[in-house]
Amino acid sequence: MRKALLVLGVLLLVGAMGLAAEKTLKVAWIYVGPIGDYGWTYAHDQARQIVEKTFPWLKTTYIESVPEGQVESFIDQLVAQGYQVIFTTSFGFMDGTLAAAKKYPDVIFAHCSGFKRHKNMATYMADFHEVYYLNGLMAGALTKTGKIGYVAAHPIPELKRHINAFAIGAREVNPNAEVHVRWIYEWYNPAAAKEAAEALIAEGCDVFAFTEDSPTVVQVAAEHKMPVFGHYSPMYKFAPDYVVSGQLVHWEAFYLDFLAKIYAGMYNTENLADVDWWGLLHNGGVEMGADFGMPINPKWVPVLKDKIIDHPFFGKISVYDLVMKRLEQIADKQMVFNPFQGPIYDRNGVLRIPEGTRASYDELLTMQWAVQGVVGPWPGEPKE
Amino acid sequence: MSGWESWLVGTVSRALAFGTPLLWATLGEIYAERAGVVNLGVEGMMALGAFFGFAMAKVTGNPWVAIVLAALAGGTASLLHAFLSVTLRANQYVSGLALTMFGLGLSGLLGRGWTGQPLFHSLKSISIPGLSHIPYIGPMFFQKQSVLLYIGVLLALAMWFILFHTRWGLAIRAVGESPATADAMGINVFAVRYLCVFIGGLLAGVAGGFLSVEYRPAWTEGMTAGMGWIAIALTIFVAWNPLQALGGAFLFGALYHLSYRLQQYVSPELLKTLPYVAAILVLSLTATGAARRRRGAPAALGIPYVRGER
Repeated sequence: MRKALLVLGVLLLVGAMGLAAEKTLKVAWIYVGPIGDYGWTYAHDQARQIVEKTFPWLKTTYIESVPEGQVESFIDQLVAQGYQVIFTTSFGFMDGTLAAAKKYPDVIFAHCSGFKRHKNMATYMADFHEVYYLNGLMAGALTKTGKIGYVAAHPIPELKRHINAFAIGAREVNPNAEVHVRWIYEWYNPAAAKEAAEALIAEGCDVFAFTEDSPTVVQVAAEHKMPVFGHYSPMYKFAPDYVVSGQLVHWEAFYLDFLAKIYAGMYNTENLADVDWWGLLHNGGVEMGADFGMPINPKWVPVLKDKIIDHPFFGKISVYDLVMKRLEQIADKQMVFNPFQGPIYDRNGVLRIPEGTRASYDELLTMQWAVQGVVGPWPGEPKE
Repeated sequence: MSGWESWLVGTVSRALAFGTPLLWATLGEIYAERAGVVNLGVEGMMALGAFFGFAMAKVTGNPWVAIVLAALAGGTASLLHAFLSVTLRANQYVSGLALTMFGLGLSGLLGRGWTGQPLFHSLKSISIPGLSHIPYIGPMFFQKQSVLLYIGVLLALAMWFILFHTRWGLAIRAVGESPATADAMGINVFAVRYLCVFIGGLLAGVAGGFLSVEYRPAWTEGMTAGMGWIAIALTIFVAWNPLQALGGAFLFGALYHLSYRLQQYVSPELLKTLPYVAAILVLSLTATGAARRRRGAPAALGIPYVRGER
């Protein structure tokens, strides 16, 4: 529904700008991985296919598995072929894309996950911290041992933010819950993810979330008949009985908006220096769900409805209702609620977010500390 | 179960599970190298085995047919290496590396449409009735393990027996030690090398099939994630001996499991390197000529055989 509205809105916008002139926009994507990775690159390419189907005036192409150091030569090639808008979708493409933006002032660039911009180069990213928080609420209700397992890729602020949000959610429902973390130091390694999950199970964890580009943790959890939250792509089909919910991305939310604005002339090669899109629940960049359109697996809905807690704000409420209320509050355009709402202390007792404030965008992007309830190693943890 | 018991049981049972594909791939490489052919293509053959195994399991719904096809995929790919390195006498290291790239690339290309599909007819792990209820021993060795683990252990015993106690084994070792002498004895050096490389391919294929049909029933490009290289290091580590391969594969499995289990106590960065540091240490210690000979490296390893040349 939201997607339909979004598309409708974008179409209206285009119509309103009164662009009768027939022109074709040639747009290219440069991917770091293979489109078949079923994770990061796969999600971007799904979005590319959606925008191509949506806009008749669009002609797209892509280049996959581009080594990070070689992005410039691929951009040269695309510009020579007449591509006017180029998306580069890996952090490591940042400097190469910036150099190209300066070299080709008539081409529009957008770089995913970086922080360097230029008058003809925007940045964009989607972030899951809100969704992890919502998943955490459910995980806190579902754990019997009080130990929730999290298989994590790299100890960087993005993951720390996600794990913290997840733990905040879990402890809102179950104040004694612990989130046990294991790092595998790789974005993609099914064997490592499996062994890390098995190690967590041996320690008594009975509910799982993760950051790794494969459905491995979902499969391990299902094998042990434990509930789990999918990551990045819809993983419901891998374990229909055990995937409770998960984090899903809608890159097309950005691509549709950005390309429509270029087509309509609102974005051009002179005014992108401040364009930094962050995909969240309120703008449709991310979605909470076991599958698209399935926020919570129907098999788990009764379990969550039966779990009644005494909530400091809502009073007696079922966890299912709590999740839905929080989802509504976070997705609200006014941003009524955010998981990182003070007071929040880190696990060493240092006050990180004072009462009455929220973590700022910069604080979210540079988060290194761990909230209370997170158990396990935390490389780079600040002492003060 | 708690405390040290959970550590012991968990470590042993995970060591066996993670060690299973390593065991199969290492056993195969041992035979190839015993016959004098280094095959650095293990990773590629495993990737092909993983893809064809997965595809076959999806199409036929029978995981055993899938494992057989995975073996054949690895075996067929290995013949390419055999042709290049035995018949054409190309540099074995280069040819093996090429096979790895070829295997990873081809499986990635063919696997496009198969990515992200769940596999419902996976090979299920088994618990052995009776034995699985013995305290400690049961959960360590007989609960939720792969049938391929037990077959692999029997295979290791059989391969050891054949290699050291039969005429066939003598022929294989002769070809690896001194192909000219073997040739003079009437052994068909090329046939033996082809056969051993092929066996290596079959077993690497099974190792790959295990990954995609049982260990993690799904296909994704590059899912072998470096296991083939570990198998090659293990081959040297276990001194080209199928019996020691059991110890090597399961030791590596244990280290791998512990590198996650111990994270609460030891820096994860350090732990992550542990299995590889162990491999490098052993390889460095055994790399010198004298040690190499003492540990039983086949004398003609890596050297193409040309009839009539010394």
